[in-house]
Amino acid sequence: MPVSLNYIFKRIILSILVILGVIVFSYLLLMLSPGDPAVKWAGNPRGPGATKAIELAREELGLNKPLYMQIVNFIYNFLTGNLGLSIAYKIPVSQVIVSGFAATLELMLFTYFFSVPLGIWLGIYSAINRGSRIDSFIQSISIILASTPTFWLGSLLLLASNSLTGFFPYGRVSSKLALSTGFTPITGFYLLDSLIQGNIQVFIDVLVRLIPPALTISVYPIGVLARVTRTLVAEALLEDYVRAAVAWGIKRKTIIRQFVLRSIVPPVIQISGLSFVYSLVDAMVVETVVFGREGLGSILIDSLHKADFRVTLALAVYLTAFYIIVNTLVDIVQATIDPRIRL
Amino acid sequence: MLLPTYYSRIIYRNLKKTRFKIGVGISTIIVVLAIIAPLIAPYPDEGYGYIPADAGERKLVPPSIEHIFGTDALGRDLFSRVIIGTRTAVIQAVSVIFISLIIGMLIGVCAAYFKGIIEITLNYFIELFMAIPSIVIALFLRLTIGQGLHVVIASLVITWWAWYARISYVYAKSVVELEYVVLAKLSGLSALKIIPRHVIRNIFQALTVQAISDLGSALLEASAINFMGLGLPSGFPEWGVILYEAITERGIEAFLRSPWLVVFPGILILVTTLGFSLVADPLREDLDPRLRRRWKLWF
Amino acid sequence: MVLAIRAENLKIGYLDEEEEQVVWATRGVDLNVEEGESFCLVGESGCGKSTLASAIAGILPPHALTMGKLYIFDQLVIDDSKRNYNGIRGKIVGLIPQNPGTSLNPFLTIEDHFYYVLKDSKNMNKSESRKIAHEYLLKVGLNKDVLEKYPHELSGGMQQRVLIAIALASNVKIVVADEPTSSIDANLRAQILNLVNSLVKEFKVTLFIVTHDLASAGKICDKIAVMYAGRIVEMGPTSIITNKPRHPYTKMLFESIPILGWKRALNPLPGEPPNVIEEITWCSFRERCPLKIEICNKEPPLMLTDENLHFTRCWRFKEVS
Repeated sequence: MPVSLNYIFKRIILSILVILGVIVFSYLLLMLSPGDPAVKWAGNPRGPGATKAIELAREELGLNKPLYMQIVNFIYNFLTGNLGLSIAYKIPVSQVIVSGFAATLELMLFTYFFSVPLGIWLGIYSAINRGSRIDSFIQSISIILASTPTFWLGSLLLLASNSLTGFFPYGRVSSKLALSTGFTPITGFYLLDSLIQGNIQVFIDVLVRLIPPALTISVYPIGVLARVTRTLVAEALLEDYVRAAVAWGIKRKTIIRQFVLRSIVPPVIQISGLSFVYSLVDAMVVETVVFGREGLGSILIDSLHKADFRVTLALAVYLTAFYIIVNTLVDIVQATIDPRIRL
Repeated sequence: MLLPTYYSRIIYRNLKKTRFKIGVGISTIIVVLAIIAPLIAPYPDEGYGYIPADAGERKLVPPSIEHIFGTDALGRDLFSRVIIGTRTAVIQAVSVIFISLIIGMLIGVCAAYFKGIIEITLNYFIELFMAIPSIVIALFLRLTIGQGLHVVIASLVITWWAWYARISYVYAKSVVELEYVVLAKLSGLSALKIIPRHVIRNIFQALTVQAISDLGSALLEASAINFMGLGLPSGFPEWGVILYEAITERGIEAFLRSPWLVVFPGILILVTTLGFSLVADPLREDLDPRLRRRWKLWF
Repeated sequence: MVLAIRAENLKIGYLDEEEEQVVWATRGVDLNVEEGESFCLVGESGCGKSTLASAIAGILPPHALTMGKLYIFDQLVIDDSKRNYNGIRGKIVGLIPQNPGTSLNPFLTIEDHFYYVLKDSKNMNKSESRKIAHEYLLKVGLNKDVLEKYPHELSGGMQQRVLIAIALASNVKIVVADEPTSSIDANLRAQILNLVNSLVKEFKVTLFIVTHDLASAGKICDKIAVMYAGRIVEMGPTSIITNKPRHPYTKMLFESIPILGWKRALNPLPGEPPNVIEEITWCSFRERCPLKIEICNKEPPLMLTDENLHFTRCWRFKEVS
């Protein structure tokens, strides 16, 4: 393996620093934004218990201590997962995030499982048939796909599904079916859970309900990858080593596989990683409001309605951490593939 | 060569491409619509969100001759709202991109030009802000500051500047190492002169193309934030807000009963984003002289 | 004698970016290269010599336009706008590319390079190709360890040696070397050229070498052709060209070479080559020619081939020598 431990170590240190930075940044936002931080932390309570709740929040945050001590205290609480109870859910904040995360991640992984290969394939096919009608068709479609507002497309898909098949794919699983077959979530990935329990009925139900939101989210990665891959193939075709390979009599098929496609793998992985993180936000917007699924989206909506700063802060930190982890992994994978990088 | 002739040559060269022509056409129409919107809108007041007096009788009217896009749940003419929404869309996209570009370019170029601790620190902040999703920032600002155009723009700028800073940094890094820039530095020219004269001028074209192509994404993200109810208040003439009122506020079942409320603003977001992308895409191809040619699989 | 390469009034041009104008790189080249010969094409940058090499190697880009005819061992590969290199690339003609640093695929080991070349040209499997690769690497002075290496792990000189080995490994009859020494250090140039020359003689391969380095070309080639603005202005056996050039351009080229240990004033060529877009019928060198006379402006240059097969395209050839 060409990647040295030193490189991985550096990346991990940077990732940790960034995550700490986000915690500090969010805390400062809480402190410096208008309003009493204790009131915000307590979730703008009203009624008889309000004063007590605010006093408790003040203590939790350690507002009587100097700012740097507060921050250290806050980081400590964050890292130990001790952020208190969510205002909206009345359960520990980290638990809220984890449960929502599983649902959203299931949707995302399912989407990327088919959209990344499809997008790359379209891009390669389009580049190989450059100038043909099929090429301009693929390019037009992909630019339209990448320009589509997903929340709008999702609503239209729901409308289409409802009027064409009479099926309304709302929620993650039919609660009636789940109850009657005794389905219980274990990992939070319902596809996996139903398989573990051998519950084929629920598995099919979950799968069918996954398809419309997955299609909705997939337009961005498909569109972006189809376009980027095509450009990358174009650039690769202009490389000196492709010219040389042609002159040496290597067959077209081998040149495309071994000379062109090999060189586009690292950038394609990088683009996929970036769009995965972008799509995560897309998924949060679509899943709850349009498709009525629980997940990070519903957590976002609930913390908006309940003014739940604890969950908001946790969302910021966990999503950033997710971004950082995905990107670090992508960088490491990329460096592993490219023999030139020996960092 | 004079700069204006240089840019007009680029535009002339690209005007032969159908995609570019369509893109320029769409973008021009959108910008013109944004300017003259109040003149075209049949019910400009309703477009701005005022609820008409006879709201009760004319709410949720499907598209007809009187209301070509139909009316919303509060009886407002949807066409007027959508047309006036063009203005908000353009303001949102352009101001997000413009502010982010300026901040990002300055920080990115500084990181590339000044080495050492400045470079490390700035890069750290770039990495940090690139990683925070804008929708969470929007939620935070919504909970603390409240609603408004500035909230949408701010929450997008907070993460987008880092993206431009990263791109500027990468481009500027290669420019800074060019020999004539090194020589200019050695001959004692101050950074204040070298940065605008050599570094920024060299990376400007690539950054502009990137900015144009991002206008669409900025619009998509801004309308997504509004759709979640995190940015602009209900009633504001903005496409995401109209969709928010149609779907988020009333629930998905309501939408099934009045689909026109969703179809039209969505199409406008799509067409506007598409227009910006169609302008930027050929320009981006044009940046790489090797790709300007009609390359194809030739062996 | 069998002709390895024959070009008849070969014109090659490129469409410009706006696809409005054609930039002509070669403007009617007639050329015969015999089998087993080492043929050298010299000229300054932009004179069309690399384009000619690409045409022979079969790697003209898609936006190139061709007119005239090019034969490789009696197979017509360029017939006006039709180009057909079936059975030529890698089987009859091999290429030693210009930039060793970028001409090897950074994602493949050297062994894989040999494997893919030999698999497609000679239907070899992995172990057979490894054996051949090893054999040829020894011939270019590299050892077995190179096989497992990636291109970036080799020095420029080693990369160039690998490229020579790859070009020869598939038993081609013609090797086209496009400025093989332009991007390596001066002290290695002679080494590489001598290596190419000895291998070519050993395998009885026809060598078509493109260079702007007249001095070293003179040492290894049987025949030299001098190209100026897309045309061959002088061609003939090396000894004649180097000793008795008849074209003022050739003479000036020789006068501009520095020679170690010989103090003399170098004569740089004044002026610029003509515009590549204009159609030229008169002598393309007359603008820069010190021996220009009235007739040069009136008539196309005299084309003359003498009994030694020494070809010149000039009215004033007598005055030059």
